Amino acid sequence: MSHQTNESSAGKSSLLAWFDERYPVSSTWNKHVGEYYAPKNFNFWYFFGSLALIVLVNQIVTGIWLTMSYQPTGADAFNSVEYIMRDVEWGWLLRYLHSTGASAFFIVIYLHMMRGFLYGSYKKPRELVWVIGMLLFLVLMGEAFMGYLLPWGQMSFWGAQVIISLFGAIPIIGPDLALWIRGDFVISEVTLNRFFALHVIALPLLLVILVFMHLVALHHVGSNNPDGVEIKKLKDSKGIPLDGIRFHPYYSVKDAMGAVFFFILFALVLFYAPEGGGFFIEAPNFEPANPLKTPEHIVPVWYFTPFYAILRAIPDKFLGVVAMGIAVVIIFAMPWLDRCKVKSIRYRGNSYKVLLSILVISFIVLGFLGTQPSTPLYTKLAQIFTALYFMFFLVLPFTSANEKTKPVPERVT
Amino acid sequence: MKKVLWIMSLLLLPLTMNIQAAGYSIELESANNDLRDQASLQRGAVLFSNYCMACHSLKYMRYNRVARDLGWSDDAVVTEMAHGLSTVTENVMTRMEDGVALEVLGTKVPDLSLMARLKGDDYIYTFLRSYHQNEQGEWDNKVLKGTAMPHVLEGIERHATPDEYAQAARDITNFLAYAGEPSKLERLDLGWKVIAFLLVLLVLLYLLKKEYWRDIKH
Repeated sequence: MSHQTNESSAGKSSLLAWFDERYPVSSTWNKHVGEYYAPKNFNFWYFFGSLALIVLVNQIVTGIWLTMSYQPTGADAFNSVEYIMRDVEWGWLLRYLHSTGASAFFIVIYLHMMRGFLYGSYKKPRELVWVIGMLLFLVLMGEAFMGYLLPWGQMSFWGAQVIISLFGAIPIIGPDLALWIRGDFVISEVTLNRFFALHVIALPLLLVILVFMHLVALHHVGSNNPDGVEIKKLKDSKGIPLDGIRFHPYYSVKDAMGAVFFFILFALVLFYAPEGGGFFIEAPNFEPANPLKTPEHIVPVWYFTPFYAILRAIPDKFLGVVAMGIAVVIIFAMPWLDRCKVKSIRYRGNSYKVLLSILVISFIVLGFLGTQPSTPLYTKLAQIFTALYFMFFLVLPFTSANEKTKPVPERVT
Repeated sequence: MKKVLWIMSLLLLPLTMNIQAAGYSIELESANNDLRDQASLQRGAVLFSNYCMACHSLKYMRYNRVARDLGWSDDAVVTEMAHGLSTVTENVMTRMEDGVALEVLGTKVPDLSLMARLKGDDYIYTFLRSYHQNEQGEWDNKVLKGTAMPHVLEGIERHATPDEYAQAARDITNFLAYAGEPSKLERLDLGWKVIAFLLVLLVLLYLLKKEYWRDIKH
């Protein structure tokens, strides 16, 4: 037991003592915050976990207030969004906080996942942290997809129509499955109602539960770090990792600083470019959903475009759907695909650095291509970069097994 | 659907990428409208009322909101925009009766509340200034070929100087840009205050972090 705990239990207020006898207030706080020892060498990449949590809170809080004025009906969904934008006190701010927050969520999550690739955060013993995180990513994609239908603009409607019709490409059960998801033969108020229900309660609930599990798993095994060394291996006489520092106050103040820096960037978009250059709020969505009028160029929101480009790159619709699905699901397998014992890219061989660069470039190029109309050139490019994307996951198990690594230090640097 | 809407939906295409000017058959002129120019907004509102509202609505705008934002009293907005025909709490609706447009123009008339956000300010400005007579002597529009909308500003174009005509188109554009997002100025004015506060907070948190981290050996 640490010095801090002895001192605090001695001087503990009687109120806290009363609670501690009946509920694990102090022990929970100490386990997860006060005496959670994190490596002292976290860098820039380690801000995105706490930022993701902050964005989640933003989405939930603004979402609650938006729900107070939003009408999930075919006749009034679009009108109610404009009502929020114009007539509800601070409604425009709530709506832009929510819409900007959605895109910010994916930026933060993609960078958070990138950190995992850089420092091998998915490796033993953190496989479950990674798997739970990937489940969070899947649920987040569903949450964002369903949320995008709610403004009931042209792109909301037709984007959902295109994506749900993909399920129709599955042999035998496809058409019935698509019908079951929509609840109607086209996207309709029925679909809107169920997406609303899933968006405001079912999936957020899942997100919160999974975030809780993500943190429990992380705090059980301890955080990785940019050197990829296990700080728990070397402890002092009190059992405290030599390279560990308490999360609070060290990382709570550091993360607070990172959060405010993030808020500044967020505010710049929120107040001065809430449409995000047409990427965060697409212009056609300022026209109400019209089932009789198909926009010529249906583009999903930017955060889905890498996967959308993979879908379009495959000439066969069903195989395209399969490829898109695998492109997401294969990331789950990273802890087992990467067989290198060294975690951090700092001490890994060139093969991994090259492969990872190819993965990142492919992902970005595919993201761009997914926003563009298909032309023969773009389709060809999408096919090349789809192949490169999958190459990372297929080649990695072979190259990582005998990678020429550098010596890993005993302690963090 | 109607022809006009089809063409409009084709024109929508490049907007999905926010490369607004690139996709149109002609290059869009820059509207150079200024949301802070209240006189321009007021002139635009009056022009909108006189030249556009015969067919078009701004169904998401209420007269009293327009009055509040444009610096008019409730009475003034009723006189200037509604010609005494509406009350301040009503929405800015067209004076045309239902179904007349279909009969006369062969199409439905779009509501203009969000047209500036859908198409951009430059589109509206260029559209208003791109009427010309084709070989058959009929009015057509270079931006939206075959539009059912008549050249309503013909009178202004004929009797005013080119500069005055451009200003009229700019004022209408400005008013529609305002109507697309009435809270925009509030947003722009609040933003820098929030950011200034956050910058101060960032400095304080940086110092706090530095202070706490002094005892961590690297």
